[in-house]
Amino acid sequence: MAKSGYQNRIELVQGTLDMLVLKTLQWGEQHGYGISQAICASSNEVLQVETGSLYPALHRLERAGWVSGEWKKSDANQRAKFYRITALGKKQLANDYERWGRMVATIEAIMSAKESAR
Amino acid sequence: MSLFDGRKKDLKDEIESHLRMAAADRVAAGATPEDARRDAMREFGNVPLVADVTRERWGWGWLESLLQDVRFALRQLWKTPGFTVTAILTLALGIGANSAIFTLVNVVLLKNLPVVDPEALVRVGDWADCCQNSGPNTWHDGDYSMFSTDTYEQVKKNTPEFEELAAMQAGFENRPVIVRRDGGKEAAKPRMGEFVSGNYFRMFGLHPATGRLLADTDDVAVAPVVAVMSYATWKDAYNGDNSVVGSTFWMNTKPVTVVGVAPEGFYGDRMSRTPPDFYLPIATMPDEAGGKSFRDPTQNWLDIIGRVKPGTAMGPLQEKLSAQLKRVHATDPAFSAADIAKTHLVLTPGGAGTQSMQKDYASNLKLLMWISGLVLLIACANIANLLLARGMGRKAELSVRAALGAMRGRIVRQLLTESLLLAGIGGAAALAVSYGGARMLLTLAFPGEQHVPISASPSAEVLGFALVVSMLTGVLFGVAPALMESKAPPADALRSGARTTAGGASLLQRGLVVLQAALSVVLLVAAGLFAQSLGKLEHTDMKLESKNRYIVYFSAQTASYKDVEMPALYRTLEERFHAIPGVVKVGISTYTPMEGGDDGYDIQLVGQPNVYRDATNIIVNPEYFDSVGTRVLLGRGITAQDTATSPHVAVVNEDFVRALFKPGENPIGHRFIAGGHLATPYEIVGVVEGTTYTDVRRNGTHPMYFGPLTQPSEEGDADATVVKTSRPMSDMESLARRTLMGINPNLAVQRFETFEAQIAGQFTHERMLATLMTLFGGLALLLATVGLYGVTSYTVARRTSEIGIRMALGAERSGVVAMVMRSALTQTLLGLAVGVPVAFYGVRLVKSQLYEMTTVSPSALAVAVGTLVVAACLAGLIPARRAASVDPARALRAE
Repeated sequence: MAKSGYQNRIELVQGTLDMLVLKTLQWGEQHGYGISQAICASSNEVLQVETGSLYPALHRLERAGWVSGEWKKSDANQRAKFYRITALGKKQLANDYERWGRMVATIEAIMSAKESAR
Repeated sequence: MSLFDGRKKDLKDEIESHLRMAAADRVAAGATPEDARRDAMREFGNVPLVADVTRERWGWGWLESLLQDVRFALRQLWKTPGFTVTAILTLALGIGANSAIFTLVNVVLLKNLPVVDPEALVRVGDWADCCQNSGPNTWHDGDYSMFSTDTYEQVKKNTPEFEELAAMQAGFENRPVIVRRDGGKEAAKPRMGEFVSGNYFRMFGLHPATGRLLADTDDVAVAPVVAVMSYATWKDAYNGDNSVVGSTFWMNTKPVTVVGVAPEGFYGDRMSRTPPDFYLPIATMPDEAGGKSFRDPTQNWLDIIGRVKPGTAMGPLQEKLSAQLKRVHATDPAFSAADIAKTHLVLTPGGAGTQSMQKDYASNLKLLMWISGLVLLIACANIANLLLARGMGRKAELSVRAALGAMRGRIVRQLLTESLLLAGIGGAAALAVSYGGARMLLTLAFPGEQHVPISASPSAEVLGFALVVSMLTGVLFGVAPALMESKAPPADALRSGARTTAGGASLLQRGLVVLQAALSVVLLVAAGLFAQSLGKLEHTDMKLESKNRYIVYFSAQTASYKDVEMPALYRTLEERFHAIPGVVKVGISTYTPMEGGDDGYDIQLVGQPNVYRDATNIIVNPEYFDSVGTRVLLGRGITAQDTATSPHVAVVNEDFVRALFKPGENPIGHRFIAGGHLATPYEIVGVVEGTTYTDVRRNGTHPMYFGPLTQPSEEGDADATVVKTSRPMSDMESLARRTLMGINPNLAVQRFETFEAQIAGQFTHERMLATLMTLFGGLALLLATVGLYGVTSYTVARRTSEIGIRMALGAERSGVVAMVMRSALTQTLLGLAVGVPVAFYGVRLVKSQLYEMTTVSPSALAVAVGTLVVAACLAGLIPARRAASVDPARALRAE
């Protein structure tokens, strides 16, 4: 991948990784590499998920019961651990998304108010 | 190696699959496989770190690091086996000794009977009386604890405050019943039978293991005679055979039906070394076994325990019962108005039953608790010293680890793990020591008894006690020094680690050694005193001869002999035993020397009505004095010419003469009245030596008079045959058994002892104390020596380079040895300076448990001090020699 690509990327906002992972898994089960690729692709390569955050997050979500992991053969006939979102995870995703929406709206309100005051 | 090997491999596979897929995508985009792999790796980042962080999300990290700590701690302990073994042994012995003593204290002094709601039980009486008496009680100032059958019946009828009031034979231990199972081939054997009221088991709230327990309908004179067997007897003697229930047993020649077995664990209404094998109803007690006298309303022989109704106030109940007892005594002409005024009783908690054994052992056990407490203190000082030395020795190691970036919390946690691990292993070893120790104590306290209802297994309280003590010791002394050391900036410690001159043991460490030395000299003095006391007791001149003498106890009553048949039985016994080759003398008597009991009566000299003395009566046959080795001093002994029709005579002992006659007065020919029997005064015909009968402490002050078996006396039937032989006869017991069987198949040997064993048996208590004191003293000495050795060798190790410099500068080896020894001995001498006065003070507290010793004897003191100094020299010499063998060049190069 070209070096310049890095400059276009932005850091993930704290606490949003779980939501993004869960959202990605809503489209179907996926392995860790696939998840990072999917997030990267669906953000037009703006968001880069660090493996040092992704794997701890996956294992934490698995322990919380929001995703479940299973070893399977991938399309390329590789053995990989596939994660699948659980019912509990879907509820959590809705929750996270709703909170995220409120946060964005709140921050937006603050930011736009400042602008008008100037 | 780890709990999570499977999961770890999983994670590794997961990461690997990620890398492979990332590389594959790159190859597909046109990269070479090598570049693709390298690029994928670079993108992924630090693989082990990602794995580590991920693993922490599993939530088992603390366990993982605990396992790491434990593994590391075990490695550390393994690397220093000397330290580890010493610490564990110290903990094991110190805590183990305490737990052993506490196990017994718990069972003997604190535990309740295994019955329903023991707190609701009340005992009528506050001291342990035994075994049968009548008339005014002058020796306890009118405080009664033992009652007649009649009194029991009246109290039971008139005291509705008791839900249930039961009575039980106070002295069953002294009256075995001879038991033989019907139809079986087994020989008649003496067993413990306790006569109890019909409501006995109901009062305790017990249910049978099998069959049924006693009922009120069994406790009437006309009822068929039944018995309940104890669970232990059922299991041990009859293998838990169910056919025992309903079968007939011959007890004292009478048929008795066993109707059931008492519940498991129930050992009767008191802690006893010989718990009952059978429980029998009072009303069916045969006359020959004492039933006749026990139905006499003036004869006290019962303990009373009842279950009170909830909410009953003890004070008014006690008043009420005392008033009832006064009314009973008012009908007995033996009681004067003053006696009746004094008559009272005291109610006590009855949950532990009649505490006769507790009374015997309480002072011993308390003393032992103190002693073992001191040993524990020494052990703790030792552990403290060892761990302090270790903690300081690891200063450099900890500094390096801190300098390399280890978190302080992690270091402390690791040290804590190590200390706790050590304490845990020590505590576990202590439990083994505790079990063994309690077993040993039981064998020492009750030699030869198998049914003592005391288990040596530590209880939950004891387990907790051992655990807490060991953990506290570990945490306090293991972590504290480490924590203090780890506070120092790493660089300081690293710099100063190289050369020290003054860096010896700390004041705290030296202080602990002084304390240990002081405590061990106290314990050694105590051990010496108790050993001397035992020696004095055993070597007191008891004025008897025990060599080649055997004592055969039999019971004519239990073989249904009538009073008129007794003279013939005595004659037969004399003849049959004399017929055995090797038998020289055959004595027959009611009591034998050092048997442990006696019966006393009021003595009044004829012509001197105002002189009263209490004296012991024993009736004997003509050969008795020769058979036990008592010499006649004046006049004559008992002879064959003293018959039922000849004048009523007595031989008295020298203590009797001393007590009733003026010095120089000849007692021969004087007459006296015993037990108020005015019609049959005795004429003194001889004086014998004051042979010891009950206790050497009574030597010289125990008046006794001996009458012929053939004449009327205060005593009952004789039950002891003393056989003197010309040589040791190892088969005497079976010969005696056969001889008695030959006379009458129901005449069983109740007890057989060599005279020597009987005498030794009277010193069981003292021997136990002396043995334990010696053990504890030795233990204390060992621990103190180890402590001194530890501190001295620690000092030497710390001063290696200093000593090297000294020697390089020309110090002599002997000078180095002297320097090290001086410091070791200084601490010991300081310990002595503290310990010796404490020993002098301490002996005043235990004076009552010593025989003829009121202060520290010079020899005991000398031995204790000498032993300690020698031990200190040994403990100092080994490190001193090591110091002297330091090679100056190597010591200087080191560090």
